[in-house]
Amino acid sequence: MADGESTPTSGRTAVGPEEAALQDALAAAHVAVWGYGVVGAALPGTDREPADVALAAHRDVRDEVAGLLDARGVDPVPAEAAYALPFPVLSPVDAAALAVTLEDGVAAAWAWVLDQAGERSTRAWAVVVLADAEVRAVAWRAAAGLTPVTTAFPGLPGS
Amino acid sequence: MSDSSPGAVPAGAFSRRALLAAAVAGTAAVAAGCTSSDGDTADAVTPAQVDRLAEQVAVQAALVAAYDRASAGSAEVATEVAVLAAQARAQLERLVAAAPGAAADPTAGPSSAPGDPAGVRALLRAEVGRAAAAHAAACPDFTGARAALLGSIAAGLRGAEGRLA
Repeated sequence: MADGESTPTSGRTAVGPEEAALQDALAAAHVAVWGYGVVGAALPGTDREPADVALAAHRDVRDEVAGLLDARGVDPVPAEAAYALPFPVLSPVDAAALAVTLEDGVAAAWAWVLDQAGERSTRAWAVVVLADAEVRAVAWRAAAGLTPVTTAFPGLPGS
Repeated sequence: MSDSSPGAVPAGAFSRRALLAAAVAGTAAVAAGCTSSDGDTADAVTPAQVDRLAEQVAVQAALVAAYDRASAGSAEVATEVAVLAAQARAQLERLVAAAPGAAADPTAGPSSAPGDPAGVRALLRAEVGRAAAAHAAACPDFTGARAALLGSIAAGLRGAEGRLA
């Protein structure tokens, strides 16, 4: 459990700052898993591998976070049935731009986990997940024609 | 469709990101002696952490120096890595601001770089990878805004490393 105040919830136990941040990261993973279905569908079959790989990575993280929260007696936040797209996804470029949005959302969530986590092991995990998200985001920014393709401070405000 | 959306993830996280920005800014202010650090135990640093932050500043300064040398040795590479070099410098500035008493040493880093662009890129990529690994390893030793900053910089460098491949 992270340091700081705990917030009673309807779950099995009080939620501390670390668990609250992990819930946000789980919510971002849910969105990414759903969103990469859209990304993949908008890409030609021969170009879908990066989306498939990313989807698998987000599923793994989702399951790990949900398992961790469950082990701590916190009810993992569920996925929504569906999500509204931030813009129409009608082309491979649109798909890449959506993937950037998804990865940036995940990066922001895990940077917040880094900020909030009291457990060293959680921070060690978060830095890996954050880096993985940024590496994927770099590739998608290039595919979307966005510049610059790299960011100095992934996940932090103004990055 | 629900009201939630992928676009709402960054928006939903915005308030927290804004808080994080404030936390980072607060860290810099504390480091600069502009405010007291009472009540912010998550961002308090031990003497050992001060030393560790100084090490990370040195790592980043070496990377900035490597970019400078690579750019001086190859106009082609200088053009290619201009953005990456600027980002590395911005990262250094943020690290210095978050490290109490630390100062960047621009002379740190390798003493020479190969002249051919491919060799320069390979050297830079190795330097970026080393810096990313160093920041990632240091990150869990901190809490609060400093952990977020080190982790973010490590992630940014991993992205840059891929661009130099």
